Amino acid sequence: MRTFLILLTRELRSFFYSPVAYVVIALVMIINGFSFRAAVAILERGPQQGSLVSWTFHSQWFWLSYFFIFPLLTMRLFAEERKLGTFETLFTAPVRTWQVVWSKYLASVVLYCLIWVPSLANFFIFESMTAGATEIPHGSLYGIYLLIFVMGLFNLAAGCFASALTSNQIVAAVLSFTISLMHYLLGVFVLYLGRRIPEQFVELVHYIATVEHIRVFTYGLLDSRPIAYYLSLAFVFIIGTHQVLEFRRWRV
Amino acid sequence: MIDVQNLTKTYVGKTAVDGLSFKVEPGEVVGFLGPNGAGKSTTMRILTGFLSPTSGTARVNGFDVFHQSIDARRSLGYMPENAPLYMDMRVKEYLQFRGAIKGLSGSLLRKRVGEVMDACALTEVRRKIINNLSKGFRQRVALADALVGKPPLLILDEPTNGLDPNQIRHVRELLLAFKGRQTILLSTHILSQVEQTCDRVLLLHQGKLRADDTPQNLVRKLRAASDLHLEVSGGTGFEEHLAKVTGVRKITAEKQEGNWSHFTLRIEARTDIREAIFDLALKNRWQIRELRRELPTLEDVFVELTHV
Ligand SMILES: Nc1ncnc2c1ncn2[C@@H]1O[C@H](COP(=O)(O)OP(=O)(O)OP(=O)(O)O)[C@@H](O)[C@H]1O
Ligand SMILES: [Mg+2]
Repeated sequence: MRTFLILLTRELRSFFYSPVAYVVIALVMIINGFSFRAAVAILERGPQQGSLVSWTFHSQWFWLSYFFIFPLLTMRLFAEERKLGTFETLFTAPVRTWQVVWSKYLASVVLYCLIWVPSLANFFIFESMTAGATEIPHGSLYGIYLLIFVMGLFNLAAGCFASALTSNQIVAAVLSFTISLMHYLLGVFVLYLGRRIPEQFVELVHYIATVEHIRVFTYGLLDSRPIAYYLSLAFVFIIGTHQVLEFRRWRV
Repeated sequence: MIDVQNLTKTYVGKTAVDGLSFKVEPGEVVGFLGPNGAGKSTTMRILTGFLSPTSGTARVNGFDVFHQSIDARRSLGYMPENAPLYMDMRVKEYLQFRGAIKGLSGSLLRKRVGEVMDACALTEVRRKIINNLSKGFRQRVALADALVGKPPLLILDEPTNGLDPNQIRHVRELLLAFKGRQTILLSTHILSQVEQTCDRVLLLHQGKLRADDTPQNLVRKLRAASDLHLEVSGGTGFEEHLAKVTGVRKITAEKQEGNWSHFTLRIEARTDIREAIFDLALKNRWQIRELRRELPTLEDVFVELTHV
């Protein structure tokens, strides 16, 4: 546990040694400002269905920030060590592979949470500035942030996996982006196919569709299935990362 | 300290280490030699638990490097080839991190980091970012890292690779200072260094052990004969005269320089004919400009055992 904390500290520090952390935080802050503004603009036009929260997370701006966060946060984690050769010093010290995997993963999760703090603050600042004149449904606000958190757990785990596969950070980033995007597209392609497909299939796709999850959660509904779904996917990718790193020690 | 039995490592379609067996006793300084691609680094990576052996076993400090990897790793300090380091950290910070994951903490950690920075002459650069250090300093940071946990065994893969002569000497002195107190397995291509520092030499070629002996014994055993360089003038028929001296096996005439003739004589093992040559020259009124015996070196042994 001590070793794990030492590794975690190093990972977190190294995020802040490189400009990546600051750039990502700043960019996401700006983009979220845009999506928040877009939501406010819609509500200004008159009575609408949906709240400030649901409009914010349905804007294209949100998706823009969503996809580039994960590659930027995770591409460095393993690929850089592989490239520098520091895997050799790391894994010949008395540390276990799971400690390395979880410390890197958790560091990226911590940073991911930090990234969303300013956007959450948007809502509270807005609420206090308008002195309660706007109605912000707190249930759906917390719901959507919970969802963003677990979606992050999955996407970051996929990013870790991609990073562990290669020594090239660009390749890792592209791979991580591809996984996230494919997963997203899998969820939306039904919308474009219309209703020409069997009902059970639509059900199944809704089960994994990120857009659908966001719709449900921004309406203030709490569904445990998506949460379980993302957590188990995250777990699968972390196990995968562990296996990739252990591969060199396999006896065939 | 190290016990390797029948170690074999096969990469995809390539056998890098082939049935290797050797032992290293506590306190020994062992040189690990071999041409490029002989399998030295591969063996070291297995010993440090970074790679798994394809077959065979290896024990470090009594712990199996595969099944009791963590315990084995606690007993050793490893400096990989090319000294990989975290480039974004500062020297002291890096050593503190490394010391901490090797189980040190609190005042002991601070003390050890201070000690190894002194030993490796890093105190001046302790606040510098590793990326901005020269190669020699990086190499020393990696060496300090290997030392920081005070392990009973050091495994150093080409610790002097890429250093200038002063630095090489510095590392050599550092190693000599550990002699007797610490077990060291080091690979290097600088054979003069091996002759000066190592108690024993393991010579690897194409993954197989070719020699396992003290440097002196290797030199003595492997080259039956030594060479004598002679430059003479003031006479004729040198070769016929020299051939009659007992102990001369073969005479090679080298290039002539003015009226000086240069010969290389191959001499029987454990004989010294320099006095006989001098007497011969005196008798025939030759002049001698050079009479030099060339003792075979570890380099000759290396070339003899590994050239293809
Ligand atoms: N990851 C790898 N995959 C495939 N082959 C490898 C790998 N690493 C090393 N080899 C091969 O194994 C052999 C032994 O390599 P090794 O690095 O152990 O040699 P070495 O004795 O350390 O050489 P050098 O003196 O150049 O450092 C080489 O032929 C090399 O090409
Ligand atoms: Mg090598």
